[in-house]
Parts: sequence; structure tokens; C-alpha cells
Amino acid sequence: MTGAGGAGARRAWWWALFALAITGAIVFYLLTMPRTLSASALPQHTPDVANGEYMFTAGGCAECHAEPLVKCKDTKVKDQKHLGGGRCLKTDFGMFYVPNISPDKETGIGNWTTLDFVNAMKRGIGPDGEHLYPAFPYTSYQRMTYEDLIDLKAYLDTLPAVKHKVPPHELTFPYNIRRGLGLWQLLYVDGKTFKPDPKQSADINRGAYLVEGPGHCGECHSPRNSIGGIIASEAYAGARNPEGKGKIPNITPSKDGIGDWSTDDIAYMLETGNTPDFDVVGGVMGPVQENMSKLKPEDRAAIAAFLKSLPPLPDAVPRKNKASGKSDEDEGDDSGDESSSSGAADHPDAPEK
Amino acid sequence: MQKLMVMVCVSVGVAICATAAISAEDLAAAVKERRDLMKKTVAPAAKLGGQMIKGVEPFDAAKAAKAMSDISAVPDKYVTLFPKGTEHGAIADSEALPKIWEDFDNFKALAMKLKDASAKAAGAAAQGKGTFTAAFNDMTKVCKECHETYREKLEH
Repeated sequence: MTGAGGAGARRAWWWALFALAITGAIVFYLLTMPRTLSASALPQHTPDVANGEYMFTAGGCAECHAEPLVKCKDTKVKDQKHLGGGRCLKTDFGMFYVPNISPDKETGIGNWTTLDFVNAMKRGIGPDGEHLYPAFPYTSYQRMTYEDLIDLKAYLDTLPAVKHKVPPHELTFPYNIRRGLGLWQLLYVDGKTFKPDPKQSADINRGAYLVEGPGHCGECHSPRNSIGGIIASEAYAGARNPEGKGKIPNITPSKDGIGDWSTDDIAYMLETGNTPDFDVVGGVMGPVQENMSKLKPEDRAAIAAFLKSLPPLPDAVPRKNKASGKSDEDEGDDSGDESSSSGAADHPDAPEK
Repeated sequence: MQKLMVMVCVSVGVAICATAAISAEDLAAAVKERRDLMKKTVAPAAKLGGQMIKGVEPFDAAKAAKAMSDISAVPDKYVTLFPKGTEHGAIADSEALPKIWEDFDNFKALAMKLKDASAKAAGAAAQGKGTFTAAFNDMTKVCKECHETYREKLEH
């Protein structure tokens, strides 16, 4: 097995590997090329700043991009119109720091053209061709119309420039390689604008647009797979809280979800924050609800009508295991029926084992 | 002498244990009582008011006023049910954020705000559905303000 023949075979083997690596790199390079829109994609449109502000509210841009009140994880903000960024989002992939999108030229997006902005919103690509992380929910914003995006950019341009340099994201390998996002975007980004369903009412279509586009409700309320993509077949059926503890509720009209809420109940909750049982929506939904309360009543009603039109689904994330017995009393309180308690072992009259 | 000391120590230990056991029970009772006030008195009354303003239930001034008065009777008692050691994480079923004890005066002030706002809503009922609706919505803003600041919602 020694001699020229063996060495030659080995060399050929190495060449083959080398060629494969090069091919792989080229394929990766091609697949992850930033797919951007050209200026010709933008329609002729005179920006409507008032509509831009409305989209800003519907999209809850300030919830993430306004400077947090004190600590980076505070959900309360200093000023809805000071978009200096700096909020931190702790996720499975590492820590994201929300960028400055104020019109500051150095630390914000003051140098962005409208096309740059549209590419970020519809393609997840920054002005230098860099892939943006989908913690920025362009997977939803891509459904927005060009007109609404142009209006939104015009509104952002009217806000005060905030000089504030945000630290870079701290992500784990391989998520820290931006280029790799190109593969992810192949799966989840097509830039297609929302198309109304002719079989549905104008009301439901308007609600669908607000929920799936600017409102980006599914980003929290839908479960995700291991690579962080939304599982379309279980859309709106609830999810794990991406920022740690707890669960984001199922908002489909099922028994697990909001099947027993009327459209009025949903619209009233969006307006006031009160659920039909007069609990208060809180946590990360608090600021979302406050924005929803600023929308036109007919838009809240449209959102409600759309949610009621969704296929009813069971919870995507199973309810917390009550075996610990910690929440048993709660259950009893809610139903007024202590026997529904699953922690039989905690009962004094439970049979000894 | 040594024996006596041991005996004393044991009895003291038992006494301390007994005290601890009683107070743990007291703490749990406080949590249950305050949660019951919210779940069995405040929430159903607010729900009734809400159903009337949403038009699910016909507006009935007397019923609306009674529901709001029921809520108004809660805060005085409610704020006495927050002994130290009943914060979220320290005891089962507590949704009370430790922040409550950091600024108890503000917490109390919010409770009194609820008392006033619900009393006002009770008074507004006699002036018709429109006036009641406005007063009711003002009251629920207090609910929201307090829950957002001081409550960690447990998963049910």
C-alpha cells in the first residue's frame, strides 16, 4: 500500500475535499447574497406623514426602539418619540441590543434613503447589504404596502435625532455570523405584500393586514421551530415567551384560546386592557395594548373580526404541569370547585400510598 | 444542669418552630384572602359593569351602583393583607411584586385611588349609561396602573 500509487490517491482525495469545500463556500455565498429591491420597485407616492404616524403606532415601533426608562430591559420608555434604541432582548440566541432608528446621521438611520428603509422592512437587509436579525420582525413588516412604508419613513424623518451609540449584539455561535441569515431568509422572507382575500369581508381583510403586517402579532403569539421560524400551521396558537418565563397566550377562537370572547370583548380589551373577566393584560402586552387603544375604533373591531375568523387551534405550548401542586388552589378559586385540584397528594384525605 | 439547658433549648426550639409554623400559615391566609377579594368580589363586579357598558347586559343603574360600591369596600381591607414575606417567589400563589414593599405608600395610594374611582362610578350610575361608562373606564385605568406596576401574573 506504500509507494506512488497510494500517495497519489491520497492527494486526489484531498483535492476532492478541497474542491468540495470551495463549492460549498460558493454555494453558501450565492444562497446568502442579500436579496434587495431596486428603486424601480417603489411606487410614485407622496408621503402622508399622518398615516406614517398611524403605522408607527400600529407597529409599536417605540415599544422596542424608544430608549428604555432606566435599565435596558425596562418595558417603560423615556419618550415614545426618542428612538435612540438600547433596549436589550435576552433570547435563546443571545442578547440583542435594539438599534437607534432616530434620524441621527451618525448613530441612527439619518443617512438611510426610503429604499434603504423599505429593504430593511421588506427584505431584512441593511443599507450596506448586511443581513438584519429577525428579532426585528421584518417577517411581518414585509407584508406592509409600499405606500404605508414610505409614509412611515417620512414620519420617522420628522422625529428628533438622538445621538446614542448602541452596543453590538452579543450572540452565540453560529448565530453571530450575519451572513448565515441569508439561508434563514430564503425560508422566511419573500417580500410579498399582503393581498386581501376576496372571499372575506373588507373588515376582516383590514384586520388581517393590521395583525399580519404592521401589528406583527404572530411574532409573539405563534410558536417557533428550533431555528426560530414561525410554525405556520400553528399560527396564533400561543408560544413560549421568547424572553424567558411564562407563555404568550393562544389568540385563536378555540377553547384554549379566546373562543368565548366576542368580537366586542376583543375590541374592548384592545381599547382598555380589560379582559372579559376583568383581569388586566400586562407584561409585554401592556405597551402593545396602549398603542392599540390609539387606533381607530373600526380598526380595533377589524382586528377582532380577523382573530375570530382564524381556525380554532389548541394551545401550541402545553399548559404548565400542575404536578407541583403550586397552582392547585388557584384552579379551585377560579372554578369554585376544589375537586378539580390535580394535587390529590396534597389533600389531607388523600389515600396513603 | 446540662440536661436542663438541653431541655430549655429544645423547648425554645419547639416554640420557635411553632411560631414559624403559625406565621407561615398566617402569611398563606393573607395571600388567599387578598386574592379572594380580587377574584370573588372585585373581578365579578367589574365584569358586570363591563357587560353593561358593552351592552351584553341591559344597563341597570341600581345593579351598577351596587357592583361599584362592592368594589369600593375592598381597598381598605385589601392593603392590610400584605405582610412581609408574602411577595411573589417567597410564598405560593403570590403575584405581589417585591416592589410593593419598596414603595408601600404609593401602593396604598393607588388602592385609595381605586376606592375613590369606584365610589365615583357608583354615584355616576344614577346619571345614566354614558356618565357611568366614563366613570367606569376611569376606574379600570387604576386597575391597570396598579397591576402593571405591582403584579407578576401567574400562569394558570
